Amino acid sequence: MKKLICFIFPITALLGQINYTGSLKPGNMYSLSDQSEISLPFRLAEADVGYSLGDFEIKTNSALEYRWSNNENKFQLREAFLMWYPSWGEVKVGKQIHAWGAVDGNNPTDNLNPYDYYYMFLPGAERKVGTVSGSVKYYWNDWQFEGVFIPEHEGNRMPFGETAFPFDVPSAEPPLLDMEFDSEYGIRIQTTNELGDMSFSYFNGRDRAFDYVAIVAGMPLFSYRKTDVIGFDLVSFIGDVTNRFEVAYFITENDFDLDVMPFTEATYVQYAEQVEYTTSNDIMFSAQLIGSIEGDIEWDYSTNQRQTQTTVPIYNPGMGTPFAAFTDLGLSLGIQSTHLDNALDLKLNTFMDLKDPQFMFGVSTDYSPIDNWKINVSVSKFIGEDGTQFHSMEDFSHVKVGLEYHF
Amino acid sequence: MKHSLITLCLIGIVYSQTGLDIAKMVDEKPSPLDMANQTKMVLTNKKGKTRSLSMISRSMDGNKKQISWFLEPKDEKGVAFLKIEHDGKDDEMRMWLPAFKKVRRISSKKKGDAFMGSDLSYEDLSNRELDENEYNRLDDEIVDGKDCYVLEILPKKNAKSSYKKHISWIEKSTLMGVKEESFDKRGVLKKEKEYEFQEMKGYHVIKRVYVKDVQKNHSTEVTFSDVKVDSGIDEKLFQEKNLKRIPRD
Repeated sequence: MKKLICFIFPITALLGQINYTGSLKPGNMYSLSDQSEISLPFRLAEADVGYSLGDFEIKTNSALEYRWSNNENKFQLREAFLMWYPSWGEVKVGKQIHAWGAVDGNNPTDNLNPYDYYYMFLPGAERKVGTVSGSVKYYWNDWQFEGVFIPEHEGNRMPFGETAFPFDVPSAEPPLLDMEFDSEYGIRIQTTNELGDMSFSYFNGRDRAFDYVAIVAGMPLFSYRKTDVIGFDLVSFIGDVTNRFEVAYFITENDFDLDVMPFTEATYVQYAEQVEYTTSNDIMFSAQLIGSIEGDIEWDYSTNQRQTQTTVPIYNPGMGTPFAAFTDLGLSLGIQSTHLDNALDLKLNTFMDLKDPQFMFGVSTDYSPIDNWKINVSVSKFIGEDGTQFHSMEDFSHVKVGLEYHF
Repeated sequence: MKHSLITLCLIGIVYSQTGLDIAKMVDEKPSPLDMANQTKMVLTNKKGKTRSLSMISRSMDGNKKQISWFLEPKDEKGVAFLKIEHDGKDDEMRMWLPAFKKVRRISSKKKGDAFMGSDLSYEDLSNRELDENEYNRLDDEIVDGKDCYVLEILPKKNAKSSYKKHISWIEKSTLMGVKEESFDKRGVLKKEKEYEFQEMKGYHVIKRVYVKDVQKNHSTEVTFSDVKVDSGIDEKLFQEKNLKRIPRD
């Protein structure tokens, strides 16, 4: 038997193919106000390693998280999954990052993975935490059917006790109600027609952000509420303008068996509308409107009584786009252009709260003097009046410098 | 006498060929059912600085269906591009962005946009529909010892072209383009293109394209290696799911 294994292993190794790609990204952040170092961890190195054999592929994504101030380092296996490519679609099993939705970044319909709040300002999958799950996607003509199963709930990675972190986070994780959660699942159907690409989705799971679910003797009790998300997204083209739209309807439920709860069921809607236009000299303009609308709240008597005794908000959305936590209506504008024979990328972006006086402004440059090397410099400035989220983030306004080597 | 008559008839036929006739001949020339290759693009700016891109490509239906996986630059390895041209409706273009874990539908209407920062626009990479252009035959010329038809190609309004016209030199013996000049909407020379072909399984298969944007003084050289034609590529390859998987060869 041992001989057989020894014989088979080299053959499969020869038949298969190992592929890899990765990067080293040392960098640091400095406060704009006093040029002091902002001590937060960052991903110093990342590697994607895969092995493919026939219709199967093993994919991994790992990172080394590092913090300059105390040389703290941590290995993160962000993804490790087996992928099978049958003729009809794809099957993935393991720790993985999913991506649903049509707009870039602030997707109300994309709730399959928790967020890593340390990387909230990074784009795409960089800000997500891989979750152990299984997914099946079936392709049929212009249709795609996708199902995702997540056996165990996972919440957002929060930066507890991080004084440098710009959001109000507790110094330690509050005690969460100890209870077993059901597994989670989601389905998504996408079709392509004359209008463009449109998708309908449904997700049944627990909130990614914990919230207080009851107040007992003046003390809040925290947990993750059960939430159903019904989503729709669309990509269409109007002349030379690309339109990406996404909307999600959330039904969140306090299904805990407690005597006093702030509410029994609440609904809310989040949407994001994005338009893009690229000029003939490759300058891309984009605008994204992000909105959140509170819906009905169902109460019981004791809830009503409790609510009058506290100033805590009735609930905080535990899913959807994190930007909805800042404002009910925000507008993000961006300009992106490339220069010097694509060696220099320039990005300008701003986020404006359309309800409260607060906004964020950012400028970033990526310069590649030689192949596979990049120097990046970015500046982010937060401005807001007293009482706004961005006011508390003013000290977090920073300049970020970094070097990248890709292999 | 008989020979003279035949020669005169042939000359008459050749000279009676209009620009459209020649364009039809080019269009009807047999082309591979499918093609696989490894493509290398070298972009050179006005200071002589170069940047390279390489990708694996598969195409069929005369390039109407095309899928490419980027290998270089390293920070873009895994990015993949799928294009499907439709008759009578908008083309479909999609990109797989590994960093976003997302297949992104992109606009196919801005034909003049540069493909991955090169001097080739999406329009340059697309097939030229016969009925979307007018063809005027100009005086024949010899280019690098090759006897060529010279056509003036004027895109019609419905072609939504970013060019006003093209002048194309087509080798008479192979009916393959040897070079082309493309003029912007103002009628000013924008691009000079050169083509080289190789014979394979009875087809003339492209081996090298050189494009120079004379207004930007920037050029792109595209070379094709490991070329395979009629290798029986499955039509199902041109599906979104295959963007995520770089082929082994």
